[in-house]
Amino acid sequence: MPEYSDIELVELFRIADKKHYAFNLLVRKYQEKVYYFVRRMVVDHDDSDDVVQNIFIKVWNNLESFREDSKLFTWLYRIAVNESLSFLKSKQLRSYLSLSSPEAMTVKSLRDDPYFDGQEIQKRLREAIIRLPKKQQLVFNMRYYDDLSYDEMSEILGTSVGALKASYHFATKKIEYFVTSN
Amino acid sequence: MKIQENIPGQTNDTEQLSLILEKLREEVQALKVPVGYFDSLNPRIIDRIQEQENRSFSKRLVLSFRKPLIWVPAFATVIVAVLLVFTIPAKKVSAIQSVDEWTEINMAYDASYAEEAVFAESITIDKELANSVLPNNESLTFPHKEPTADEIKAYLKEHETETDILNGY
Repeated sequence: MPEYSDIELVELFRIADKKHYAFNLLVRKYQEKVYYFVRRMVVDHDDSDDVVQNIFIKVWNNLESFREDSKLFTWLYRIAVNESLSFLKSKQLRSYLSLSSPEAMTVKSLRDDPYFDGQEIQKRLREAIIRLPKKQQLVFNMRYYDDLSYDEMSEILGTSVGALKASYHFATKKIEYFVTSN
Repeated sequence: MKIQENIPGQTNDTEQLSLILEKLREEVQALKVPVGYFDSLNPRIIDRIQEQENRSFSKRLVLSFRKPLIWVPAFATVIVAVLLVFTIPAKKVSAIQSVDEWTEINMAYDASYAEEAVFAESITIDKELANSVLPNNESLTFPHKEPTADEIKAYLKEHETETDILNGY
């Protein structure tokens, strides 16, 4: 499969008879990054699958009007963040109706996750992450797992670099405490 | 109050993680997916996009029919078509159905057809007699005399000739 840059993919997508081909390449290029980012936020595989599909459908609907003043990767991440947060919000509303706390539900699905193949310490790390406030979760995942720079994170989340550094610092401290204290 | 002053060691991109977090970061990805998940993701997304486009097409169609410019001519066309269907007289179909060639041949060739016909005829005569439709029994007697042996032979010969023609089919 040929390697296209993001700009080439967007240009290819704008050609009517190459649209599907370009989209296929784009999905293949980013599907794993997007999936694992969503999975860390949403926890459950089936929910993550739904969210990932919604993200790429949004990409399909809006890529033609994508303005190249930001990177495709950053734009894609922004969609992923928004979709994940909307999903978690709707899940939170559902959990109020079912009279159980959203955090308890997420921890339960984390413990019952059939697609988790890690050690106990890794499970504890995941549990510590999902107990963080959503913004801190996002910042921690982007920095710790996806190795994004603060500038990229700032562009995606629309937050100052200083605030992101503070957020990350507090997140790591809380996680270290949770993982080591048990 | 500046954040950099409050959080020492967090002001640049090379912050120090604790040993445990450093170690966990290097470990193999523990999140798994079902076998072939990433291969099937793209086709499933394309399916959903096509579904969405079909839905939006039918929605557009419905919306376009709300405009009088579209539905008035369409409605008028339907009315004209209905009027044409009901005003043009239908072509008359003959009440007598023609018998196809093979049925005729079968009737001539198969003796059972003839027997059935004679039987049906005799039932009708019996009923008529029972109801006294006929004036008296004398009228039922056949006026002609019995055929002679030569007449029977001639008749059979003639009949045989006809059936020979039928055997050709």
